[in-house]
Amino acid sequence: MTRRNETRRPVTPQDRGRFGGFDVLDEVDRWDEVTKREVLGRLAPGTTHKFFTSTEAHVAVALLDLLLAQDREPRIPVLPLIDVRLADGETDGWHYDDMPEDGDAWRQTLAHLDADAMAAHGCGFAELTAEQQAPLVQAVYDAEQWHGLPAKHVWSLWTRYSCTAFYSHPWAWNEIGFGGPAYPRGYKNLRIDGREGWEVPDQAPDDPVPFADRVEQAHDNHADLVGRAPDQR
Amino acid sequence: MTESVRQRNASAWLIPNDGTRTNHRLRADMHRYDDDDEVDIVVVGAGAGGSVLTQRLARAGWRVVTLDAGPFWDPDTDWVSDERGSHSLYWTEPRQIGGETPVPLGSNNSGRGVGGSMVHYAGYTPRFHPSDFHTRTADGVGADWPISYDELRPYYELIEAELPVAGQNWPWGDPHTYPQHAHPTGGNGSIFLRGAHAAGIEARVGPVAISNGRFGNRPHCIYRGFCLQGCKVNAKASPLITHIPDALAHGAEVRSGCMVSRVLVDDRTGRATGVTYLRDGVERRQRARMVAVAGYSIETPRLLLLSATKRFPAGLGNDHDQLGRYLMVQGAPQTAGRFDEEIRMYKAPPPEVSSEQFYETDPTKPYKRGWSIQTVSPLPITWAEHVVAQGHWGAVLREYMRDYVHWATLGALCEFLPRPENRVTLADEVDRHGLPVAHFAYSMCDNDKQLMTAAQKSMERILSAAGASEMMTIQRFAHLVGGARMAAKPEEGVVDANHRVFGIPNLYLTDGSVLPTQGAANPALTIMSLAARAADRLVAGARSGPEMATVD
Ligand SMILES: Cc1cc2nc3c(=O)[nH]c(=O)nc-3n(C[C@H](O)[C@H](O)[C@H](O)COP(=O)(O)OP(=O)(O)OC[C@H]3O[C@@H](n4cnc5c(N)ncnc54)[C@H](O)[C@@H]3O)c2cc1C
Ligand code: SF4
Repeated sequence: MTRRNETRRPVTPQDRGRFGGFDVLDEVDRWDEVTKREVLGRLAPGTTHKFFTSTEAHVAVALLDLLLAQDREPRIPVLPLIDVRLADGETDGWHYDDMPEDGDAWRQTLAHLDADAMAAHGCGFAELTAEQQAPLVQAVYDAEQWHGLPAKHVWSLWTRYSCTAFYSHPWAWNEIGFGGPAYPRGYKNLRIDGREGWEVPDQAPDDPVPFADRVEQAHDNHADLVGRAPDQR
Repeated sequence: MTESVRQRNASAWLIPNDGTRTNHRLRADMHRYDDDDEVDIVVVGAGAGGSVLTQRLARAGWRVVTLDAGPFWDPDTDWVSDERGSHSLYWTEPRQIGGETPVPLGSNNSGRGVGGSMVHYAGYTPRFHPSDFHTRTADGVGADWPISYDELRPYYELIEAELPVAGQNWPWGDPHTYPQHAHPTGGNGSIFLRGAHAAGIEARVGPVAISNGRFGNRPHCIYRGFCLQGCKVNAKASPLITHIPDALAHGAEVRSGCMVSRVLVDDRTGRATGVTYLRDGVERRQRARMVAVAGYSIETPRLLLLSATKRFPAGLGNDHDQLGRYLMVQGAPQTAGRFDEEIRMYKAPPPEVSSEQFYETDPTKPYKRGWSIQTVSPLPITWAEHVVAQGHWGAVLREYMRDYVHWATLGALCEFLPRPENRVTLADEVDRHGLPVAHFAYSMCDNDKQLMTAAQKSMERILSAAGASEMMTIQRFAHLVGGARMAAKPEEGVVDANHRVFGIPNLYLTDGSVLPTQGAANPALTIMSLAARAADRLVAGARSGPEMATVD
């Protein structure tokens, strides 16, 4: 049975989202046990780091917040989800032959980022404002080589791990309207614009704001952050 | 139809019908051989090719032991209805990738455990076209197979009935029908059909190895969209439920958690004598009269390289420097379109609708061969990869992601050409067993690049015609095959038309690594059909005396 908890407001990261009232966690009772254990575990990851040193964790949190625009609470605990994974050696197995294995690659690139901050501003990456951090991160995206590593493979490492952690979290599903686990329940209304009884249409309180305008706005904000004119993107 | 399937492969009827997914009794009662028993054949890998071979030979009365490095899965307890939580399905032992266009592995490539990569494959099961078997003669590119489409056709028909495959009547290649009707389409499939129709492109629903209706004790698909995470329902076919149960019922032993480290060859006779394998860190050895390797296009060449001896210093089947070469991936660009309507592509199986209109060489174009188009329907984590690939991060990434329910996604499969330099070799790095890991180098040729561009345009045409307001494309690869190809002579490949390794009379390869070309079709049905044919050959050969059918 689905019970909607009328008093609890669905959590979305930074309270951003377009599916007002949609809480994928309302459906938990209809998930199979194994999936339930797996997904709910993400809501309460440990707070101590097993893989990253505290210096590395400091830099990593700042980097991850920036990559995922987690600029205020509530935040999805991305770092612990990555830390656990690296501590358990749960990598994808493969690595580019011009990159170290993933765990080492994380350590090295966090150190390089901190060094870039030191060189540019005389203090560590985590101590900088977001406006100071963002251009350093954008510079990695724009580079060919970065501290002797192929920059696009560094970018791939950072974004792969951060997006995997973020979009595995039920709060992110609330934000994007994704139905989450679906066994043994399945779906009945498959057609275009079809919704299950418990799904919520895409609609924000300040609509109508067409998608193109919202993206335009996001681009402008992002351009401000990385310190360049929007048309340079 | 189902009656005759049951008579020759009772797998679907050997699964429980009480809502659980695994026949534990059958597994507990499995025949167990001793390492010192000289069995008739040891099969390495219980995936697409290995499982079909196991089932066929067990039915023919052979004493078969099949070893798989991964677990003997139980969908109830081992699999989740979740993208991130499905990591254990992938082959994540270390591998290195390089070349000009390295091919990322992990989730998008091979699997592990009984059922192989088909546990988390999407479920498309198209046939190859007849032209795929002679592209060298017809188009001057690729290679000619030592067998023709006609030799494989009866096996396609058998396997299609055993999986079973659902789809509309198929107009392309060798036109054919499917044993089951097509499934209803979800948002993504409906967009494809609408756009294709408006653009004047032919599209069809299917072909998918997802039972439309009950099949034996396998239930109907519940349209939950997690096919690439392993089907907890048992609706989507994988050898774990389509061939292994019947193999066990006929006396085969499937030993999981056994990583084969070497194929043993007696240098004096030049014959295979069995394999060594690691189980719980301990090295063991299984003796066998014959060995078949079916470990996927990377692990198969790697194992043959690891098995080098004094007599075969460059590895088994590598006397002519052919091993590991001509490995192929399909170019798999995915183009997504934005619609005002809600598509919610996470509902319904990702494999829904296909078009093979662009499959064959178009003489008016500068490139040879072609591509197919299919629905793909990425879940959120994979969808984030699409958005990130556009260079978005931070607030822009989040804004695009928030729009997830409005996007529909198509994927192309471009027939990349086989090239000798695309190859598996052994790297300096070693795995946790101390065995050198595979290095996989990949670079594209001009024809490949032209196909990618043309395929993207064709998908944009469909999505625009369907009414997309914005589009984004990500360049990807899919489906590794080749690496130990079938050829008419040893100078051109690793195995002969009967899958026997050149130079070693009782060593066979029966997985995707033997494919000389790949067409623009997903490979699993072809790999299974080839394995079924190889089994018939082995059985026929045995009847006429040891290796009579395949003397040098
Ligand atoms: C995400 C994804 C989607 C796909 N979608 C489709 C699709 O829609 N349609 C399609 O046709 N194909 C699809 N494929 C491809 C298809 O699954 C593979 O081509 C096919 O399963 C390969 O068959 P195989 O027999 O070569 O190897 P596999 O099926 O991978 O089997 C190899 C087995 O060997 C075992 N093994 C390897 N090395 C050793 C060793 N040394 N010792 C013991 N065991 C070993 C592995 O554990 C594995 O179980 C997809 C693949 C992926 C990853
Ligand atoms: S959509 Fe159907 S076939 Fe795919 S995983 Fe779900 S139940 Fe299985």
